[in-house]
Amino acid sequence: MSNKNIDHILELSNELRWQIGDDFHDNLTEGIYADAAQIVSDTVQVDDSKKRFRLDRQIDKIVTSKTFGFPIMFLILATVLWLTIIGANYPSSLLAQLLLDNIHPALKSFAASISMPWWLDGFLIDGVYLAVAWVIAVMLPPMAIFFPMFTLLEDFGYLPRVAFNLDNLFRKSGAHGKQALTMTMGFGCNAAGIVATRIIDSPRERLIAIITNNFSLCNGRWPTQILIATIFIGAVAPSAFSSLISLLAVIGIAVLGMAFMFGTSWALSKTVLKGQVSTFNLELPPYRPPRFWKTIYTSLIDRTLIVLWRAIVFAAPAGAVIWLISNIYIGNESVAAWTIHSLDGFGFLLGLNGVILLAYIVAIPANEIVIPTILMLTVLVTGIDGGAGAGVMFELDSANATADVLKAGGWTLLTAINLMLFSLLHNPCSTTIYTIYKETKSAKWTAFASIMPVILGFIVTFLVAQIWRIIF
Amino acid sequence: MDTKVKSACETCAHFNADGLKKLGISTENVDFVIALAGNPNTGKSTVFNSLTGLRQHTGNWPGKTVTRAEGGFEYNKQKFKLVDLPGTYSLLSTSEDEAAARDFILFGKPDVTVIVADANRLERNLNLVLQILEITDKAVLCLNLMDEAKRNHIMIDERTLARDLGIPVVPTSARFGQGIPELIHTISEIANGNIVCKPHRIKNVPSNIENAVKTLSSEIEKEFPNVPNSRWIAFRLLEGDTRIINALKSGELV
Amino acid sequence: MNYNPTYALVLFFIIAGILYVVFRPTKGWFWIIKNNFRSNEKVVIEDVLKQLYHFESSGNKVDTKTLVQVLNFNNNQIIEVVKKMTINDLIYFEKDVLKLTDAGREYALRIVRIHRLWERYLADKTGFSKEEWHDRAEMMEHKLSHDETNSLAAHLGNPKFDPHGDPIPTITGKVAKVNGVELPLLAVNTVGRITHIEDEPEIIYKQILAENIHMGSLIRVIENNATRIVFLSEGEEFRLAPIVAANLTVAPIEKEVFIEDNIARLSSLKEEETAKIIGISKESRGESRRRLLDLGFVKGANIKIDLTNPLGDPNAYLIKGTSIALRKDQAAKILIKKD
Repeated sequence: MSNKNIDHILELSNELRWQIGDDFHDNLTEGIYADAAQIVSDTVQVDDSKKRFRLDRQIDKIVTSKTFGFPIMFLILATVLWLTIIGANYPSSLLAQLLLDNIHPALKSFAASISMPWWLDGFLIDGVYLAVAWVIAVMLPPMAIFFPMFTLLEDFGYLPRVAFNLDNLFRKSGAHGKQALTMTMGFGCNAAGIVATRIIDSPRERLIAIITNNFSLCNGRWPTQILIATIFIGAVAPSAFSSLISLLAVIGIAVLGMAFMFGTSWALSKTVLKGQVSTFNLELPPYRPPRFWKTIYTSLIDRTLIVLWRAIVFAAPAGAVIWLISNIYIGNESVAAWTIHSLDGFGFLLGLNGVILLAYIVAIPANEIVIPTILMLTVLVTGIDGGAGAGVMFELDSANATADVLKAGGWTLLTAINLMLFSLLHNPCSTTIYTIYKETKSAKWTAFASIMPVILGFIVTFLVAQIWRIIF
Repeated sequence: MDTKVKSACETCAHFNADGLKKLGISTENVDFVIALAGNPNTGKSTVFNSLTGLRQHTGNWPGKTVTRAEGGFEYNKQKFKLVDLPGTYSLLSTSEDEAAARDFILFGKPDVTVIVADANRLERNLNLVLQILEITDKAVLCLNLMDEAKRNHIMIDERTLARDLGIPVVPTSARFGQGIPELIHTISEIANGNIVCKPHRIKNVPSNIENAVKTLSSEIEKEFPNVPNSRWIAFRLLEGDTRIINALKSGELV
Repeated sequence: MNYNPTYALVLFFIIAGILYVVFRPTKGWFWIIKNNFRSNEKVVIEDVLKQLYHFESSGNKVDTKTLVQVLNFNNNQIIEVVKKMTINDLIYFEKDVLKLTDAGREYALRIVRIHRLWERYLADKTGFSKEEWHDRAEMMEHKLSHDETNSLAAHLGNPKFDPHGDPIPTITGKVAKVNGVELPLLAVNTVGRITHIEDEPEIIYKQILAENIHMGSLIRVIENNATRIVFLSEGEEFRLAPIVAANLTVAPIEKEVFIEDNIARLSSLKEEETAKIIGISKESRGESRRRLLDLGFVKGANIKIDLTNPLGDPNAYLIKGTSIALRKDQAAKILIKKD
């Protein structure tokens, strides 16, 4: 076909467009709606006499009211967390018992029976298997509780109301109101939250949402927060209040994360991602009672298992690395010990120590293995009793035993607080980094989104450490 | 009442319940491609799930279907592939999700387009329905959430609606699986050409625009006599849609 | 070195301070140095051409001295560049007065085209505030290539005017005429549409922006004398000094156009009040305007507040059976008539 005739059509369309002017879209849309209104008046009848009590609206009035809106939001967040923390304890220890206390020794003796060389046995079973087992034991139960609860809220229609309530804060920080939705998704998993940013049309605001999603404390980090808060912060309070205090500490960190999210969004929108807020409109859909079992089923299949699988894929090599650095020696020190000692000075400045920093480097693939790695490395460098051998991750059965190991490693309340802060403010896990790259298709922004939180973490922990030391 | 209709049709001669097989995600060698379009929050994903037997997540917030989902079913030995398009309010804007939905209906040339509409908000939903009817004439309106409409005392005269729109209208409550057999049957009838649609064309357009559209679409028809939707192409050209311009240049539309 | 938390803190703040001075947005030393590097010859040439074009189209004559005054470059650099441009046949001297050759005018039009297209782009597709459009376009006009410009124009649907109402030169260098006359020339009771808002000088432009007057609005003059001009637009009354009003171009409308009297903005709607939509202000452009229309904010639709926000903004409005949240600044662009 000849291009000439098409050019003629295009020219004609340009000409006509200039003739009919700016209002084309307005007129067309108005025309369509006029048609729609005609059709509806022919076909739809609403029986106004039986006007029902609008339950939707009554719920909305309460959850968006000045008095109750925010308290309800925090209450729901606290309830979900509380149920996750309490509910995950039992299956977690059950899984740990099964995978670590039963299957691990069985594998070891099996390896011995076929006289596997010690390095292969260590690499595969103490390295790869243990890392994967840890991720499953620590991550699966809270996710299996958190995701379905979250999905129920989502299906019910509560999330748009959260976005509605919080929008003014987002507007003031130069971000899009729908970032509230992606932020809450991030509490489950940052990678999922980042995929969800596709609902934001404007590229600038979407980028802000992607970069700041890491400040939503994700599932891999909740256990760290909870454990450290229980051991160190709860212990400071009288025993009657200790669990309440530790819950508040964890919620405090989550809220602090939101504060950092707003602050960073604001700073970004004032500097590198400058530009005014583009438009925001949000449909508040009617509430729909979720179909309970179906929802639980789909959220388990759709979210929990997929996220878990990704974590396992990334944790396996991390386990291998942990085992290797603990068992490869330079001179008479293992690579791990050597790195820890060289990081100790910097770690001290931040109120942390070399062990924690190394654990975070090793645990880039999966944040879940931070605590076991820390314990293993602490035992390795302090040489105290209780470990399972070089490069073998373990987690102690009771919080008390864990506390003993950590205190022997020179931990104080400051170390604990800074670890909680650093767990909030550090690079996203490798799954998330990969997702950021896939979504932004920009190495520059991926690097920025990965490095910026660590620098922020360094600054915050540094400041806290110095001020703490001046005061106490 | 809905349940009665369901059981009536499942036993009736038209619907062949044994001929139905939900194929999940295996969609190879399909006979027909079906597009699933609709406003956000109309239960589109639920309709998708009940047609395919898949369990795609159905959150209750606008725009939660961020990736395009595909699934399939088999009915009377014919395989249907179902493509769930992102939920949109319109096809006239340039946002990513709308472009994706628009391009699929226009360039993907689905054999049938199922438009899912919320029976409680028909007027708002018709905005999208009327636009889709400008693009394709093989469509069926799936009037979903009938259970909610009933609770809200909203009565819809489906036959008049079908006559006004010129396409079949199937009332459903996808959450409870009601009306899905009829929907499947109707899809199959349209795909096989047993039902021929005469879709509504937008009428209330100001005369200066109508004239421009007429001039332009008759030129388009001269050049591409086989294009079924010259009016829509004219709309898009007046809007300055570069995708359409390129498609005209490359001959992709014909 | 002995560790002391106080010293560590002090050291930290010193480093942070230095980094701030060097890298702070726009005024940081790093950016200033980088900017200075960028003002190379090409930029100067293009700015000179553009300036000459603007002088030419407003009918003013310009010599090297005035040119140096208006442009923000090093004097020697300008004189150097002007010399080069004469050699390259972009400009010539008629006695002291600088004039554009045809080649020079064509080049200038290309720069103006990019500038105005980019402003259109910023207005339609991004959320940058009006105050920023000009400066951003000033940077962009030196960067876009010929092809990039044309695909940008196609992407925007080959617009005729920039958001201030200035004509965008076409590829072939055609420039459309702006309809209308300066506002102070209109008689009382004339109805017209604002077709152009001059964005220079900046002080007056900012004042117009602060008044919330925008392109494409219908106005009716109700008072016009030497001290002030008063007119009605979108349900509000505006008073401007003649010098400010002179920056507005208005095309009078011959036909009798009915302007609704008690128009209000949606943002002024109170709970329990109901209203009908009259239309969307021209201030809402491009994508966001389309989105509003698609959501059902069309002429004649009934609307009321569905939910008020605990933080005051946004409110949710009930329109065509659905509750939709809009921020105040957007609601202010929807015109309603209260029932």
